[in-house]
Amino acid sequence: MERLSEQENLFVQMIALNGMKSLANERTLQAFYHILRGRRANQTLQDVHLFRLYPYYRLFPHLLREQWEEILQQLIGQGYIREKDLDRNKTTFVLTDEGEKWVSQGWTTYGVDQWLGLFHQHPWVNGHLQTFWLRLHLMVQTLSCLLEGNPSFYPVVQDRQIQSFVKSQLHDPTHRKRWMDGVFAELYKALEVLPSDIQPLLVKQFSGAHQTALTMQQLAYQEKLPPSLIRVKWRFGVASVMIQVKETPDLYPLLAALLPEEQSGGSQMSSSAQETYRLLQKQIPIEKIAQIRGITRNTVEDHLVDIAFHEPAWDASPYLTDEARRQILETSARLHTRRLRLIREALDDRYSYLQIRLALAIGEARR
Amino acid sequence: MSMDKLEQMLSSHFGYSGFRGGQKEIVQKIMQGKNVLGILATGGGKSITYQLPALLLPGVTVVVSPLISLMVDQVQRIRQRRTISAAYINSALDPTETRKLLTEIDQGRYRLIYISPEKLQQATILQRLKRRGVSLLAIDEAHCISQWGHDFRVDYLRLPDAVQQLGNPPVLAVTATATQHVRTEICRLFHIDEADVIAQSVNRPNIAFDLIEVSSEAQKREHVLEAVKSLQGPGIVYGRTRQTVDQLAFACMEEGVLRAQAYHAGMSAMERVLIQEQFLSGELDVIFATNAFGMGIDKPDIRYVLHYHFPGSLEEYAQEVGRIGRDGKPGYAGLYLNPEDAAIHQYMLANEYPVYEEVFRFVQLLATSSGHISALELAAMAGLPDESLDMLFFYAEQHGLVSQLTKTKDQYRYRLEKVDVSGAAMQISRTLEELKRTRKNKLMQMKSWLHEKDCLRQALSFYFEGQRATEYTAQCCSCCGLDRSFYEQQPFTQIQKKPDHWDLHGALRRLLPVRKEKEAITIE
Ligand SMILES: Nc1ncnc2c1ncn2[C@@H]1O[C@H](COP(=O)(O)OP(=O)(O)OP(=O)(O)O)[C@@H](O)[C@H]1O
Ligand SMILES: [Mg+2]
Ligand SMILES: [Zn+2]
Repeated sequence: MERLSEQENLFVQMIALNGMKSLANERTLQAFYHILRGRRANQTLQDVHLFRLYPYYRLFPHLLREQWEEILQQLIGQGYIREKDLDRNKTTFVLTDEGEKWVSQGWTTYGVDQWLGLFHQHPWVNGHLQTFWLRLHLMVQTLSCLLEGNPSFYPVVQDRQIQSFVKSQLHDPTHRKRWMDGVFAELYKALEVLPSDIQPLLVKQFSGAHQTALTMQQLAYQEKLPPSLIRVKWRFGVASVMIQVKETPDLYPLLAALLPEEQSGGSQMSSSAQETYRLLQKQIPIEKIAQIRGITRNTVEDHLVDIAFHEPAWDASPYLTDEARRQILETSARLHTRRLRLIREALDDRYSYLQIRLALAIGEARR
Repeated sequence: MSMDKLEQMLSSHFGYSGFRGGQKEIVQKIMQGKNVLGILATGGGKSITYQLPALLLPGVTVVVSPLISLMVDQVQRIRQRRTISAAYINSALDPTETRKLLTEIDQGRYRLIYISPEKLQQATILQRLKRRGVSLLAIDEAHCISQWGHDFRVDYLRLPDAVQQLGNPPVLAVTATATQHVRTEICRLFHIDEADVIAQSVNRPNIAFDLIEVSSEAQKREHVLEAVKSLQGPGIVYGRTRQTVDQLAFACMEEGVLRAQAYHAGMSAMERVLIQEQFLSGELDVIFATNAFGMGIDKPDIRYVLHYHFPGSLEEYAQEVGRIGRDGKPGYAGLYLNPEDAAIHQYMLANEYPVYEEVFRFVQLLATSSGHISALELAAMAGLPDESLDMLFFYAEQHGLVSQLTKTKDQYRYRLEKVDVSGAAMQISRTLEELKRTRKNKLMQMKSWLHEKDCLRQALSFYFEGQRATEYTAQCCSCCGLDRSFYEQQPFTQIQKKPDHWDLHGALRRLLPVRKEKEAITIE
């Protein structure tokens, strides 16, 4: 058997290459790193939408910059990608034929599509997966200890918000009783339909009265699979549970309560952007918003783009006329690019970067 | 208070049969209303010295603790044991929770309140605590107050003010790692009489010190991996970088002989809790960790600590090896030394303190913003790491550049006092230079210990106490002659891996059993 660390390297390289290939010629070599890390910056969130990279967002939240650089070096070294100038001091890349061949081979070997496809069909899952999992995790640990009659324990989930959420669910005695009596059946029902190699990845990651959870890495050693593949499969498992619960809530009255509340319009807008949106709705100009909130104008502009993406009801016409939007989208389509500078030059600098970004965001959101 | 009473309390509330060295003296002085400095060895039982008085004193005992995780951990464990009603106040609480807690404090629900130093600066919190009546202010890890210590925290320096605003309650400062210099400074800042300093020897007789010189990175790796396999566990291996500990753990896990894990700040909060819990419950043989691991860890049976890289100061070293053998049984501290290792510290030191240009930019940004600025933006615009901002603001205030400084979630608010930008920048960077020199100095003393020829134990205690402790129980150190096989496991036990059949129903039932008790259960 190949050493697990080598397998892990290859697997991560493959994920990276397959994910980033749609960014070839369009974005820098760092753009995909931010997506994997799940950066909340607007540019990153917009790239996720624009290039349909939902399965990759926050896939590896702890990937270090140095690790990413190493991945890139290896991809370049093996001739799978080639660097190419983008703008004055930015570098993008192209995918080579060997790269294409290598990645599609690996993709089939590991059967990655079966674990990722879900996220395309249900983009909402991604933004809520972490919260749902943590709530479920703490709920299981709490109930496990309650059922054992040993109600004081050390919670593995330290997040305050999650803790108060679970507390509030169990506060009322009748509701608590319902949880204690019903959790096993609901969880069993939700897990039973999963492939048998996915089930233990979830169950062994729970803590309880007589079980300390295993980490992803420890599971990887048990299963003799690369840790990142374990993570991919585990995410599939959690997402499947979430989707079942969401689609048939009457079958899962308890678990349904763990799904994070939808924000307005199902958006994944940052709370900071939401705050800006609130002020915008009061007709407060950009400059003033920046001043009130103690943030820069640039940040407010980022928020505007974010809002354009997520809030179909928002009226962007004070910043962007219909005519301008039409021209920008046309140019983008004609040049096959979403790069701001190219679009701006093609339109003789008639529109600001903000306007171009807004137009692309609105165009994309309505697709 | 009769002595019998204290001993009675100790046994009935904590289950200990007697006091350890220094504990009783400290508690007695506190009960007499004195300000006290307690210097007890790592694991010497400093917590008892404020937890026991908390049960006896009429008002609340407030404990200042440097790390949020440490404080949360301690309170959760106290609650598990249900000896004292305890709570914590820190920035992890949201405003509603804090308000609720303050009301409960008013109602007298808690005897022991852990608080982070920055929260003890907020006027509303100080007022509420004062109204409730603070009987004792305990300051854990008190060396953090010294700018010349190894772990200086600016918020600690504001504590003497807080003492005053609380109406000057008695103060108890405790630490395990104070040099003479730091000790004098703590006494000065908290008005502690020399007669009220209770210092136990910080020598740990049951720990043996070993120094192993290697000539290359590869050789070191090999030695360390060999050692963790042969030494009696559980143990901790400390390395300075995440990659180092990850790689070592990976190598160790791959061999499959040991239950090994990495632990560092790059892991998610949950993974860290899990690994800590697994370690505490004996499910792991060895942890490969950066210095993010271990503060406040109270596991009695840690048998060895290895250093893959040496720490930046003898204080850190003493804290880290101090986790060995708290049960009093013999334990082994091994440090591996490769001549190249010094470079890591050079690099870290060079990057830790902002240089003049950075300070200048920082000051300029302060001078041109209108009294408030977001931490993230400031860090980005000045090109500084977030961690250095608190320190810079502290010195900006100390040098009179700003006043009325407050920090909310990620906003700093302040009043600008004068705008001689380059003058202020100069002063601040001079102070930073001084801090950097202190750190360099500590590093030098660490290095010179590494070249000790006579006795490592004696040299270590001399650094802290000015006296050479000679007492040891099993073996002393590699200078005095050491037989490592004494600390190896006999016979060598290999973990049996049981092949497991996956059975969803069974696994879920183990986790969520059929309910045992029918009556209502309350959870905290
Ligand atoms: N009098 C005693 N008898 C027996 N055990 C004790 C006594 N006092 C403390 N202990 C135990 O010693 C261990 C260490 O105590 P504690 O955590 O207070 O040490 P510490 O001095 O604060 O250590 P550190 O230097 O790591 O902060 C704990 O497990 C505690 O229960
Ligand atoms: Mg302590
Ligand atoms: Zn010796």
